[in-house]
Amino acid sequence: MRSSSRLGGIARRDLLRAGFGSLVLGASGNLERSPFFAEAAAAEPQDGRILVVVELSGGNDGLNTVVPYGDDAYYRARPRIGIKPERLRKLDQHIGFQSTMSGFERLYKDGRLAIVHGVGYDQPSFSHFASMAYWQTAAPNRGELYGWLGRAADAMDPEGHANYIVNIDTQQSLAVRSRGHVPLVFDDPQKFTRTGFAEEAAALKLIAGRGQAENEAQDFMLSVSRSALDAEQLVRDAWAKYRTPVDYGLVRFGLERVAALIAADFPTKIYYVAYRNNAFDTHVYQSDVHARLWTYTSDHIAAFVKDVARLGRGKDVVLMAFSEFGRRVKENTSRGTDHGTAGPAFVIGEPVAGGQYGKMPSLTDLEDGNLKYTTDYRRIYATLAGTWMGHRETESLLRGNFEPLPLIAV
Amino acid sequence: MAEPTVPPLSPTPINVAGPDTARRGGGPSQWADDLSPIAAADWSIERAAHLLERAGFGGTPDEIARLAAMTPQAAVAALVDYHTIADEHLTAFERSDVWDPSLRDFPVSRVAATERAEKTGEAMGVRIKPTGERRLQPVVDRFFYWLRATVLETRRLAHWWADRMVATHRPLEEKMTLFWHGHFATGEEKIRDYRKMEQQLALFHRHATGSFRELLVDVARGPAMLAYLDAAQNVKGAPNENFAREVMELFTMGVGNYTEHDIREAARAFTGWIDNDLAFKLDADKHDEGQKTFLGRTGNFDGVDILAIILDQKVTAEFIAGKIYRFFVREDLSAALQAKLGAILRDNNYQVAPLLRTLFLSRDFYSAPSFGTRIKGPIELIVSTYRKLGVKRLPGIPDLHLVSRELGQILLNPPTVAGWAQGRSWITPGLLLARGNFARDVLFPDIINFTDPNFNPGREVKRVNDRILAGMEISVATIEDTPSEGGGMGGMEGGDKTMANVIAGAEDFNTRYGSLIGWQEAVRRVKPIPRAAAQFDLAAMVLGAGAKTAGDAVDHLLTRLLRAPVDAEVRKVLVDLLERQLGTRELALAATYLERPLRLVAHLIMSSPQFQLC
Repeated sequence: MRSSSRLGGIARRDLLRAGFGSLVLGASGNLERSPFFAEAAAAEPQDGRILVVVELSGGNDGLNTVVPYGDDAYYRARPRIGIKPERLRKLDQHIGFQSTMSGFERLYKDGRLAIVHGVGYDQPSFSHFASMAYWQTAAPNRGELYGWLGRAADAMDPEGHANYIVNIDTQQSLAVRSRGHVPLVFDDPQKFTRTGFAEEAAALKLIAGRGQAENEAQDFMLSVSRSALDAEQLVRDAWAKYRTPVDYGLVRFGLERVAALIAADFPTKIYYVAYRNNAFDTHVYQSDVHARLWTYTSDHIAAFVKDVARLGRGKDVVLMAFSEFGRRVKENTSRGTDHGTAGPAFVIGEPVAGGQYGKMPSLTDLEDGNLKYTTDYRRIYATLAGTWMGHRETESLLRGNFEPLPLIAV
Repeated sequence: MAEPTVPPLSPTPINVAGPDTARRGGGPSQWADDLSPIAAADWSIERAAHLLERAGFGGTPDEIARLAAMTPQAAVAALVDYHTIADEHLTAFERSDVWDPSLRDFPVSRVAATERAEKTGEAMGVRIKPTGERRLQPVVDRFFYWLRATVLETRRLAHWWADRMVATHRPLEEKMTLFWHGHFATGEEKIRDYRKMEQQLALFHRHATGSFRELLVDVARGPAMLAYLDAAQNVKGAPNENFAREVMELFTMGVGNYTEHDIREAARAFTGWIDNDLAFKLDADKHDEGQKTFLGRTGNFDGVDILAIILDQKVTAEFIAGKIYRFFVREDLSAALQAKLGAILRDNNYQVAPLLRTLFLSRDFYSAPSFGTRIKGPIELIVSTYRKLGVKRLPGIPDLHLVSRELGQILLNPPTVAGWAQGRSWITPGLLLARGNFARDVLFPDIINFTDPNFNPGREVKRVNDRILAGMEISVATIEDTPSEGGGMGGMEGGDKTMANVIAGAEDFNTRYGSLIGWQEAVRRVKPIPRAAAQFDLAAMVLGAGAKTAGDAVDHLLTRLLRAPVDAEVRKVLVDLLERQLGTRELALAATYLERPLRLVAHLIMSSPQFQLC
C-alpha cells in the first residue's frame, strides 16, 4: 500500500535520498567498487519491506525458553532449574514457552511467530565475542571486517544511500559495519543533537563534514560528520511527533524508536537493535533473572508487532530475534547454565508463516554435553536477505549456498 | 596567566591542509613498517606533537616545543623513562569510610542476603530485629547501602584516576595503565567492590611499562579478576571455564591458538583459586591435583604453570605486541611486522618499555599512515582536551562519569571482558554530536543548571523519598505506580490505608524502602567530588603567542587543538565568525572582551571531525 504522500514533499525526499549519494565512496574517491557490487546492482529489493534484527546478547538459554517438557531428559539434566510443565505456556505436546512469555505465545497462536529449532553452526565457539561476531558477520570461525547486514546493504544499495541502515545503540554494531554505508546510529533521540549557541549555528552548519580527507580515518570522520547534521533533525522530529497507545514494556531496548522512524517514513530498510551487555549470560542463580529477561523481551517485541500493525505497515515488517549461542544441557552447580551451542531463533511478523522449523536437537545425543545444531543460522539469513528482502545473490553475500526456510508466507 | 612564548607563527597556518601537508606531518609512505629510528634531521614540531599525543594525552604548545627541541632519542626517553620524573604532586586515592569487615563475603543477591539473615540471625553485620514490623528491614537496608556505596566510591576512584591523567608529568604511565585496563578488562558493576578495582589499578600502575609476565600473573591472581571471571565457581569436579577461556582468548593468545580441550584442562588447573577479600587464596580442597595436558604438555599443572606455558608460546608475545602496536600506532598491522614486534617483546623477556621505545622512535610511527589516523577514545579525548588547554586538574564540572557514559567509555566499567573496541566504533553521528556537546560543557560550563549526579538516586527512589518525607507510611509510600500511568501520589485513601497496615504486618522487609535508606546512608558517607569548572584563559594564550589579528588567533587555536588539518574554507568560516563577534580584525582593539568569542571558535574546532583524530 504505497502512497506518494509517504515521502512527504520534495524537500524531504531530497534530504532523505538524494542529498548524500555515496557518502563514503564520494568523499575520498579512492575506494573502488568491487565487481561484486556491479553484479548485485541488478537485484531490486522489494520496495517497502523492512528487516528488523534483535540481538539478545549473552547466550540465551534456549532450553528454558522453548522448553521441551515432553522430554524427560530435560528434567533429568535440570533437577533444580528445569521448569515444570504446569508452569509453561504449552504450544503442543512437546514444547512450551516459559510462563512470562505471554506476548510470544499470543504471536505463535496467531501464526505470526516462527520458531527455528537448534540454530547454530559447525565448530561452535563458546566465547561471547567470537560467537556473536560470527553471527554478526555470517562468517563462523573466520575473521571478517564487515557485518552481514552491512554487506547486504552494500549489495542491495550499491550507491550507499543515507539512512539505509539504522542501529539503535550507543555504538555501531559489527553486524551493520559496511564499506559503502554509514549506518545511522543513535540511542536516545532527545540527545541526538548538538547544542550550540545562536552565534555558532550558521558556522556549525557550514563546516560540518567539509574538507578533503588525507586518509581513511579522516574520510570516515568527514562522512559521519556530514550525515550527522541532517540525520539529527530527522530523528528528533520523528521522535517528537511519535505517539502510540501501545505499552512497550518495562525494558525498552529500542523497538519503540524503530516504530517512530517507521511512522515517520524513514527510507530505512534494515534496523538493528540489541538487548545489550550480555544480559542473557545466566551463569549463576538463573531462574528469576531469565524469567524477567523474557518478560521484558516478549513484551517489547509483541508490542512492536502490534504497533507496526497499527501504523498500517504490518505486512512490510519482519523481525528476527537471536542469541549468539544457547547454553549447556545440564545445569551447573550455581543454579545457572554455562555457555553452550545451538538454540532457538525467532522470526516474527505478519508476513511470517508461523510455526516450527528445523528439528529440535536431541537432548541425549550430545557433543561434550552440548546440543548438536540442526539448522545453520545462515539459512535464516538467506531467508531474510533473499526471500524477504528480495536480494538474489545471497550465495555471494553469505559466502556459501544456504537453502532458505519456507517461513515467509507468500 | 600568560603562556611562555612559543616559536612564531609560520606564514602558512600549520593545521590547514595544503601543498605542504606531507612535509609538515606524516613522513613518507616508505617509512611504513620501518622500525629503524627516525633521524634527528627528520624531527619536527608536528612529530613531537604526534609523539606526545600518542605516548601521552597531548599537551600545550610549550610542552610540545620542549620535546621538539630535544633529539628524538631524548624526547622518547623523556616519555618512556618516566621513573626518574617526579610525581609527588599526585596524591593517593583518599577513601571514603564506607567499608568494614562485616561486608566481607557480600551476598550475591538480595535474596541471598535475606536467606542468610533468616538462617543465621544476621548478615553483613546487621541482626534481625527480635520482634516488631519488618524484622529483616535493617539487613535489606545494609545490602542496598553497600551496593550504592561501592558504585559511588568507584566513580570517585575513576575521577581520581582521570585527574592523575590530567595532572601527571608521566603521561605514558597513565596511558599504559589505561591500555592495561582495557586489556585486562574488569568492571565494578559485577565485582561490587571498589577496593578490588583500586587494587587492580595499582597493579596496572606498577607494571605499566614493566614485565608483562609479572603483570599477567598478578592480574590473574588478583581479586578483581578472580571475582569478575567467576573463579570461585571453578572447583574440582565442576570446572567453570569462564576464567580459563578469557585468559587465553583475550589476555594472551587470541582465538585459534588453543583448543576447547586446552580450555577445559586449564580450567582444571585454575580450580581452587579464590579471592579471599583482597588477597589471593588457594583452596586446596577445591583444587584439581590431577595431571593435565595443556598445549601439548602434560603435568600436574596449577594456574601459574598454565600461565608460564602460555607465555612460552610465540603467539603470546605477538598477540600482546600487536595489541600495543594497534593502540599506539595504527590498526593496520602486517603479519610480518607483528612477528618482529613479538620477537622484540620476547627477546626482552616480556619487558614492555623496550618495545615502546622502539615503536616511538621508529620511522613507521611517524610515517603518513600512522599520522593523524587514530580516532581518540572518549577518555583520551577528555584528558587531552584539558591538557591542551593547560588545565592542571580534572574539573568536577562537567561530571566525568556522565560525560564518559555519554561518549561510551566508563572507567572501571568496560562493557565486557573484551574491553573497548577501538577506532571507528567510538564514532557514530550521534556520538560525534555528543563530543561536540562535551566541548561546549568545558568551554561554557553550565554551572547554573549543574546538579551532582552522585546525589541523584533515580526516579524510583526519589519518589519514595518524597512520600516518606510527606509522612506516608512505608507500605503506602512504596506502592508501585502502574507502568503506563505517570507519577502522582498513588491515591491511597481511607480503606487503602488499612490494606497498607495489613501489608506492613505481613512483609518482613520492603525492598523499595531499603533501596532508599541504603542510598541515603551511602551518599551521606561517600566524600563528595569537588565541583568546580576548568580555569583557563584562551585570550592570554592567543595574545601570548603573538597573535595580532583574528586570523592569527584562529591559527593559534587550530595549531593548539588539532592534529589533523582543516581546509581553507573551514578556516575562513572560523575567521569570519571571530571577526564578526569581535567587531574588528584587530585583537588589540578587542582585547578586553576577547575570551568568549575565542571560546566560540574553540567550540567549533573541538566539534570538528578533525579534533577526534590524533
